[in-house]
Amino acid sequence: MTRSRAQYPTASGTERPHEVVTLEGHIVDSLTLAKVLDRILAFGADYELRTIAVGRTNLDETIAELEVSAPDEATLAHLLEELQAYGVNRVGTGDAHVTVADRDGVFPLDFYSTTNLPTSISIDGRWHVVGNPEMDCGLVMREGPMVETVPMHRVRAGDRIVVGSDGIRVATPERPRHGLPFEFMDSEVSSEKPKGILVARVARQIANRKAAGDRVLLVCGPAVVHTGAGPDVAQLVRDGWVDVLFAGNGFATHDLESNVLGTSLGISVGSGAPSAGGHANHLRVINEIRRCGSIAAAVDAGYVTGGVMYECVTRGVPFVLGGSVRDDGPLSDVYTDVVAAADAMRAHVAGVGVCLMLASTLHAIATGNLLPSSVETYCVDINQAVATKLADRGSHQALGIVTDVGLFLRDLTADLGALER
Amino acid sequence: MSPPEAFDVVYEINPWMHRTIAVDHDLAAAQWRTLVATLEEAGAEVVLQPAAEKLPDLVFTANAGVVSGNRFVPANFRHPERQGETAEDLAWFAAHGFEIVRLPPALYHEGAGDALPFGGVLLSGYRFRSDIASHAALAAALEVPVRSVELVDERLYHFDLTFCPLDDRRALVAPIGWDRYGARVVEALVAEPFVLDTEETFAFCANSVVVGSTIVMPSCSVRLGRQLEAWGFEVVVCPVGEFLKAGGGCRCLTLALDLSLARSAGEQRATAAVR
Repeated sequence: MTRSRAQYPTASGTERPHEVVTLEGHIVDSLTLAKVLDRILAFGADYELRTIAVGRTNLDETIAELEVSAPDEATLAHLLEELQAYGVNRVGTGDAHVTVADRDGVFPLDFYSTTNLPTSISIDGRWHVVGNPEMDCGLVMREGPMVETVPMHRVRAGDRIVVGSDGIRVATPERPRHGLPFEFMDSEVSSEKPKGILVARVARQIANRKAAGDRVLLVCGPAVVHTGAGPDVAQLVRDGWVDVLFAGNGFATHDLESNVLGTSLGISVGSGAPSAGGHANHLRVINEIRRCGSIAAAVDAGYVTGGVMYECVTRGVPFVLGGSVRDDGPLSDVYTDVVAAADAMRAHVAGVGVCLMLASTLHAIATGNLLPSSVETYCVDINQAVATKLADRGSHQALGIVTDVGLFLRDLTADLGALER
Repeated sequence: MSPPEAFDVVYEINPWMHRTIAVDHDLAAAQWRTLVATLEEAGAEVVLQPAAEKLPDLVFTANAGVVSGNRFVPANFRHPERQGETAEDLAWFAAHGFEIVRLPPALYHEGAGDALPFGGVLLSGYRFRSDIASHAALAAALEVPVRSVELVDERLYHFDLTFCPLDDRRALVAPIGWDRYGARVVEALVAEPFVLDTEETFAFCANSVVVGSTIVMPSCSVRLGRQLEAWGFEVVVCPVGEFLKAGGGCRCLTLALDLSLARSAGEQRATAAVR
């Protein structure tokens, strides 16, 4: 890319980001040039036609060189991405450049930082699709050739890492135009949507994606148990709607506590009354699970006889419990090394088509960081800020549903149950 | 043409395909045989390409590539599911004495499904399957001007679902599948267009095969039939419902081998031989 940082005066005297691009082909007769110029202006950007060589005969191609400038870098990047579909190329974009990493766990200086969008890399003039898009990683070239994303800590000395931004193509998120099932996701997070219709659509999407062979990922926060929705989630797992579960020490602990002792943080899930000495209930349960060695062992021993974790163990649904500094215990199954936890989650992401994030902030954002933008993601939380936060961190595909997670799960379980019948 | 022995819907790469909808294989075979017989009766010579296992869409020969005279430019398929077809197509066209000119591998183009001749130029669609950047390469390979038309409706993912050349002056057009620039390009080129309405468009009326003065169509409305007959065409409706399940009509099942794009406009009608 030959974007120069030269002074580019504007009316306000400040410099505007700009880039030189070319467009060639039968662009005059096909009205492609007119369309491209119209698009540039519609974006609030501007152009200067630097050269144009109009073909003399009907067969000759026309070649135009434009300098496009926009008010800011983001607009320019978005515009150039859109113009790629019309054959507008950045001058100098050839193959991707590669630098060999010189030590473990460290990218080369100018490493390309990934997005969660579908990405292709040009190697020897041929585009290769990145198999596992994940944001905030680097790209490593393997034999084949093939390209994969790799998180920083997994880089090894000698890995060939993509650097710079030449030869990298990032697909614009496709926006469906005609009443496709996902269209209702067009408008971001809102607390003012008819929830019943949303829940029914989420149920329908889950059923569709399951039928298409995709996996469903559930991310649960402790409020799922506090709101009394534990049995609904257990039902979803039992009915085979869930293929993998991500949560923390809290969710698993409260699920186990509510099933072993009938309380959640000492409060009776049934009656809402505090129980004597209940503040220690969850610690006693954690202690017994640790005595057994693992949640699976506690299920085998008959100590745990119901709930979400029980259903996961008995149905063989994999789960990853990621720890944090304020965890009690923690349960023996909890990853206390956060890097190992993220790697364990990463290992389960392949094939996931739908992700439901339920009343969880930390694990929702952690999961959002791992998922490609193609995964349909629903973030259910009573707090609008969680969905907003998720989008701010780059998971733009997430649809925020602002509601009580207990009510949401009750409706969802009923809708999915009805679909099954 | 290629017999539908391996035809099925086993993946979903356009909005018409649903793996849950089963293909009636006997009916598909019968519909295909009827189409062959109809084309032959109209005066076409049909040459066959053998079916190949695990290539269910090889039956849609329109996408094999673009033919001009003795030259064949094979497709670069966008979807990995169809990329295996290219080896079969290359083998067939090499064995039948065609000169093969390939497009650069990074540029997607899906053959005659996205490229139809009219008025001395090749009209080529882009967006869903073909890249606009392939059009310049196609023009160079075939030595013919290419006019690009942007497709805007994913259900009309190939240009041959929106355009059917009838003769030098006339064509069936479905502008709802194009952006306004593309619509203007076609408008400037076609003297007497028949504008298909939404219903006719989604019944794939444009995906028809013209052999001489016969037009073989997957379906035809009354008003369209009247106009075609007034223009001197004999309309034959040839149901291909099983293939519609994969998003293809009559024309998708054929590839005209007797096109010569470099010649004058008057001689560019897709007529006799169909593979």
